[in-house]
Amino acid sequence: MIDGTPPALLCEGVRKSFAGGVDALAGLDLSVPEGSFFGLLGPNGAGKTTLIRSVVGLTRPGAGSISVFGAAAWGDSAGAARQSIGYAPQDVALDRFVPVRELLSLHGRYFGMSRRDAAGRADEMLRAFDLSGKATAYAHQLSGGMRRRLLLARALLHRPRLVILDEPTAGVDLELRHDLWDYIRALHADGTTILLTTHYLEEAEALCERVAFIRSGRIVAEGAPPDLRAQFGATRLEDVYLQLVGR
Amino acid sequence: MTTAEIRRARRRGTAALAEREVLRVLRLWNQTIAPSVVSAALFIVVFGVALGASIRLIDGVPYERFIVPGLVLMGVATSAFGNTATSIFQARNDGFIEDPASSPMTATQLLLGYLSGGVVRSLLIGALTLAAARVFVSYPVEHPAVLAAALAGTSVAFSALGIVVGLYSTGWDQQNVVGNLVIQPLVFLGGVFYSIDALGQPWRALTHADPIFYMVVAARHGMLGASEIDPRLSVGVTLGLAVAMLGWAWVTFVRGVGIRT
Repeated sequence: MIDGTPPALLCEGVRKSFAGGVDALAGLDLSVPEGSFFGLLGPNGAGKTTLIRSVVGLTRPGAGSISVFGAAAWGDSAGAARQSIGYAPQDVALDRFVPVRELLSLHGRYFGMSRRDAAGRADEMLRAFDLSGKATAYAHQLSGGMRRRLLLARALLHRPRLVILDEPTAGVDLELRHDLWDYIRALHADGTTILLTTHYLEEAEALCERVAFIRSGRIVAEGAPPDLRAQFGATRLEDVYLQLVGR
Repeated sequence: MTTAEIRRARRRGTAALAEREVLRVLRLWNQTIAPSVVSAALFIVVFGVALGASIRLIDGVPYERFIVPGLVLMGVATSAFGNTATSIFQARNDGFIEDPASSPMTATQLLLGYLSGGVVRSLLIGALTLAAARVFVSYPVEHPAVLAAALAGTSVAFSALGIVVGLYSTGWDQQNVVGNLVIQPLVFLGGVFYSIDALGQPWRALTHADPIFYMVVAARHGMLGASEIDPRLSVGVTLGLAVAMLGWAWVTFVRGVGIRT
């Protein structure tokens, strides 16, 4: 906490074990400052998605505490914490029974917006993500790239202060990846805190002000990319990654 | 955010989820509404009008009239269960349940939202079945409040049961097993088509162990004024089951079964 302002995300001693004794999170500590663009990097199975799902209320931590802008993510204040978060999951999971515009509007209302505000914001997001022409289509009728954009639009719809993007550019072509980067950069420029997980280290290097490396459910290094490169005597973040978490 | 703002946000979320569930029912009316109403109408025509003439009066009531309350209740029970079980499992299977599940809504509000679709669909089917039956059979409604309690209690009980099954299921086959091998037999053996006075032991005693029997009897008392058991017992069991099933569904949501790992 700096000057009494709580961080956007604070995780302290977070643990999570799954059946079979797999420790997905092993006492993880992490602090994401408000307004930062923060990258969470690590190999498959390191605990990135488990951590993110613990933050958004979809995986119940076994121990430790998680708070979002000072509100505990689990317990009585979970509502306030969840209200502050916009989450775009790794898998494109979109309601296929409602048209795109209504899908966005419903999301806004799930997160407390009035019907009118949600409808207006849905139109705004459709324009911003170049999806206005698909407002009456259903998610399953969209191309993969459009669905990825819709997922991001949904995450941003209720104007969250912390946006969590779990592999937002996984499996998308180069052109769309750069489009998504532009959207995310513009969002961050407006003061929104971004927490991004990605396998593309050049993506993290291009976008993130700070990154943390996660391995076996723990943060093993954290800092600004230039500082980490200097600390590990590396010319690229990829080399740092290989030293820290590579096999 | 203040507590009042969070409460308002949660109310709006609940209303939106309920609206989504109800709209799903209405948009897919040819799958969610029409088949149940047509089936009930066919039962009335075949068993009531066509074969009913050869069946003696039951408790002094013509057969085609006797079966109407049970058929209405059968439609309510099966559609309430099918709606919530299918909707929840589909949302889990496709992953989009995570959108409302990661919202500020509480377990109680998620329960209310998902329950809405089952309750609206089943009561709509109940009303339309009554209307369709009127084309073929005249019937009274002797105790409207009892009929309303029987249908509402059944609707809530089976919608809540559908939620539980939808949350626990790991595949479509499990829902079919519960629907076809548990609920359907209980419905048919619950006295929809006959009076238990016509049964000998041990079937009569076994019928008393069937919860749907009490729902059918309550609905029949509400419509026809005839009842094989004390109506207070049948209505009490119906409403008690609704409360019990709601409680089970609520606990299942609180524990995060099928949604939160």
